[in-house]
Amino acid sequence: MSGYLVWGLILLLLIGGTLFLRYRYPEGSSGRRRMKWGFWALVILIVGLFLNYTLPSHDVVRITNTYNRLTTVSWENAWAYASPDTGTGEGTQTRDIRFIEAVHDDDSVVVFRNEDTGWVWPPYFKYDSSNLHAEASNLRSDKAAPQWVMVTYYGWRLPILSIYPNAVKVRAVDSADATVLPWVNILILTALALLILMLRRMWLQFRERTIDPVVEDAGDFLEGIDAQADAARAQARGWWGRFIAWINTWRQKPRP
Amino acid sequence: MIAILRLLLFAFIGLSVFYLLLGAYWRSLRREALEKQWDAAPPDGQGAAERNAFIAKGMEAYERGLKKKLLWLVYVIPMGLIVIIAYVQNYQ
Repeated sequence: MSGYLVWGLILLLLIGGTLFLRYRYPEGSSGRRRMKWGFWALVILIVGLFLNYTLPSHDVVRITNTYNRLTTVSWENAWAYASPDTGTGEGTQTRDIRFIEAVHDDDSVVVFRNEDTGWVWPPYFKYDSSNLHAEASNLRSDKAAPQWVMVTYYGWRLPILSIYPNAVKVRAVDSADATVLPWVNILILTALALLILMLRRMWLQFRERTIDPVVEDAGDFLEGIDAQADAARAQARGWWGRFIAWINTWRQKPRP
Repeated sequence: MIAILRLLLFAFIGLSVFYLLLGAYWRSLRREALEKQWDAAPPDGQGAAERNAFIAKGMEAYERGLKKKLLWLVYVIPMGLIVIIAYVQNYQ
């Protein structure tokens, strides 16, 4: 089955489920209140997982092997690989991918893939996989004389989906306890938080200056028509109602 | 090569949307500040026409001011970041 079809079906299911829950638990019911909590928890979880996947992480390892092998990528794990046109990819199903095998100080193992990100997501703009592979091969060492390496990577190792974190940088370090201050992450998260605050203030300003005056006008106009006034004011509550009222000002006004 | 052109195209579209939104937001802030400045101490015997003229004059000064020019950083900073990231990532 094609990947687009599967993800399309999943999206349809999500939309259908949302609509069903919307009508099953009307505004004001206790189910709706719990649903709102659940919704925001889910949003935070998804954003958190997304950032956890995308932002750079660091790991101190000893590189034991570097190689490439033909790897089959299909719909369930294609999202964790480079898009086919960024370098090593030949077909959409099977491609030759470079891997870096490594062990931690406590003998637990980790396998990185080494793929170009190209000019698409995530924005590492990495197109030096071959050089990185040469550096990683140069830093190979055995247990007797370990050469510890700080690997910068993003992504997850999930064996059940056959996905691997993508190494973006390797750097020789003195000991297995080396640490690094994640200043890139600090910068990105700070910028994101500032951007969200900024967008919120922009929205509030737009509402205060553009939508609210319109709603007040509409309220004044409807004062005379008792029956409709209540319904309109009820509708004008909430940001969606205000937005609709603003849209309605584009319509031709009835003559008094 | 097509991929980098595609990135630039989509970045340009996205940044243009943000440029317009931020521009409208700053204009709105400036206009609100001018209105408040006038309403806090309206000169005697002057009405709506003088108020509108005062605001129009203030907005004209804003359109020529430094802040309006700084709005171009919306394009400059992300494009600069792309170049810096690509350089740090790929060259030692």
